[in-house]
Amino acid sequence: MKLSISKRLAAMFAVASFVMLAVLSVAMHGLLKRELERHQSNELQARWTMYKPIIMRNDDVVHWQYVRTKFDNSISENNRVSLWVQSNDPRFLYGASLTDEQRHTMGAHGFGQVMLPGHDAPLKTYSAEVEAHGERPAVLLTVGIDSKPFVETLRAFTVGLIALTVVGALGAAGLGYYIARVGMRPLDRLSGEARGLSPGHLSRRLQTDTLAPELSELADSFNGALSRLETAYQQLEAFNADVAHELRTPLGNLIGQTQVTLSRERSPTELKEALHSNLEDLERLRAIVNDMLFLARADRGERAPNRVEVSIAQEVSHAVEYLEFIFEEAGVKVRIEGDAQASIETSLFRRAVTNLLQNAVQHAPRGAEIVVFVLQQPGAIRVSVQNTGSGIAREHLSRLFDRFYRVDSSRSGSRENHGLGLAIVRAVATMHGGTVFAESESGATTIGFTVAA
Amino acid sequence: MKVLIVEDEPKTADYLERGLREQGYVVDVARDGLDGKHMALEYEYDVIVLDVMLPGTDGFSVLHALREHRQTPVIMLTARDRVDDRVRGLREGADDYLVKPFSFLELVARLQALTRRSRGQEAMQLRIADLQIDLLARKAWRNGQRLDLTAKEFALLAALARRKGEILSKTTIAELVWDVNFDSDTNVVEVAVKRLRSKLDDPFKPTLLHTVRGMGYVLEVRDEQSEDA
Repeated sequence: MKLSISKRLAAMFAVASFVMLAVLSVAMHGLLKRELERHQSNELQARWTMYKPIIMRNDDVVHWQYVRTKFDNSISENNRVSLWVQSNDPRFLYGASLTDEQRHTMGAHGFGQVMLPGHDAPLKTYSAEVEAHGERPAVLLTVGIDSKPFVETLRAFTVGLIALTVVGALGAAGLGYYIARVGMRPLDRLSGEARGLSPGHLSRRLQTDTLAPELSELADSFNGALSRLETAYQQLEAFNADVAHELRTPLGNLIGQTQVTLSRERSPTELKEALHSNLEDLERLRAIVNDMLFLARADRGERAPNRVEVSIAQEVSHAVEYLEFIFEEAGVKVRIEGDAQASIETSLFRRAVTNLLQNAVQHAPRGAEIVVFVLQQPGAIRVSVQNTGSGIAREHLSRLFDRFYRVDSSRSGSRENHGLGLAIVRAVATMHGGTVFAESESGATTIGFTVAA
Repeated sequence: MKVLIVEDEPKTADYLERGLREQGYVVDVARDGLDGKHMALEYEYDVIVLDVMLPGTDGFSVLHALREHRQTPVIMLTARDRVDDRVRGLREGADDYLVKPFSFLELVARLQALTRRSRGQEAMQLRIADLQIDLLARKAWRNGQRLDLTAKEFALLAALARRKGEILSKTTIAELVWDVNFDSDTNVVEVAVKRLRSKLDDPFKPTLLHTVRGMGYVLEVRDEQSEDA
């Protein structure tokens, strides 16, 4: 399952604060425990020091009875305290009898502990020797205090810490979620804006000036993509309109002529004539459709598939040879200058050159010379066709390679030329990793394309 | 000549059947891939016209199945102008392909090329009415008079004469004479025909080179009355 960023952040906040609080709690727990133990030890030592003089002052059997009474009173006053006096002399003893194990855990010197029946926490003890005096031998005085209050304090504190850790982590999660939501608000707004985009409003863009820097970069990239889409969409729309327009004339002719023909009884000759005429229009439609399919291939990014390494000048001369009769009819001469080797698909290349030459011969005056330049450039081979003539106005140059674009709109009725010739040149160039160019200066027009070397 | 058409689009199949029958072919039609595969394997054909997009089983699998047993020439019809379709077709053993929309004349020309391939040597001397052509010496005479033709004009005449009585489309002519295998806007063929006509027909009777509007050109002897202008 995918978590929202807010929930993910909340979870991360919770984990982080849980870890932090847990470490803190463990540390505080340790500190408290050490402090409590130090406190206990101090108390034990203080009490031992308090009881020692009682033994010191009474050094015979008679006075030992007084010690016992004093100790009894002391214990009954404060039931947390227990006292033992151990010695080799059975006359100088005090306290409940101890098992060997109890005696062992208590130790002979210093701190120890002992578990007494009826207690759920052990007694902390402190033992030290009181030196012999008079009749009394050296005895071992042990002070014990009940650790139950300390243990209880520690336990309460531990429970408190655990509760604090859990509640703290949950709180951090909630707070984190809220913060994340607030932080995400610009993103929500952005996605709201993006939802509002539609093909009907192609020029609309995301607002970037009020966005946080992190987001404005994203929005900029997105806007860039929108711009490219808009261009492509507009081209497509214009293209569709062009296609519809180009197909409309022959379709209209076909329908009209067929209706007229069928509206009356016709002789076989008339019917045949109508069919021939229809066929001409249909052939024109077919040529347009085939060229459009070809252009679509280039648009899809298809590369020329069957390339061979050939001499460019030789390929150009094939195209020139093909158009030889046209040149003779038009009274122009053609010259090829330069040569280069390149890997091309010959039929595509010849088609492009044929279209360029066809275009040049249409614009060249009788007696003119058309020159095809083949130029080896770094990374590319440049093929250009130059003709003298009336030249092409600057505003037309950049659009020359657009589909169905005609410099001279009156030419649009021309039966042979359906306005895709130079668009095909561009497609061929693209399929060979090249580009197209067009220049027109002082009566000389140069149009051409490059192919990747 | 026996030809099998494997095509599911009814109008296309119908006009192909009628057209080829009128061209003198014996025609069988299969309306889907399975029938096509069955008929191609079961009966003997001189050539098969095979659509790529078929219901049942597509043209490639029909071709594949056929090539495991037979080497019957196959022309593929591809609706999409996709290179991979064509490359795939040729790689899997198709002999030729046509991209829809194609012209019927084009198909006839390809069919003839495929079936002619296996027919061996042609005559080197051709004769139509008083026109005499020597393909080897690349010379032509009419009424015993030598025609002064350029190389391309002769190639055009030879292409038409070899297919005497057949209508050749401009595309086919461009391919045969100039080895140009792409559509172009040019009227090269028209100009060439005009030039050839000025040498072949203008000084002589009867007219041999005829225009069939919207279709192409044909070299044949016709009744003077029914002649096109």
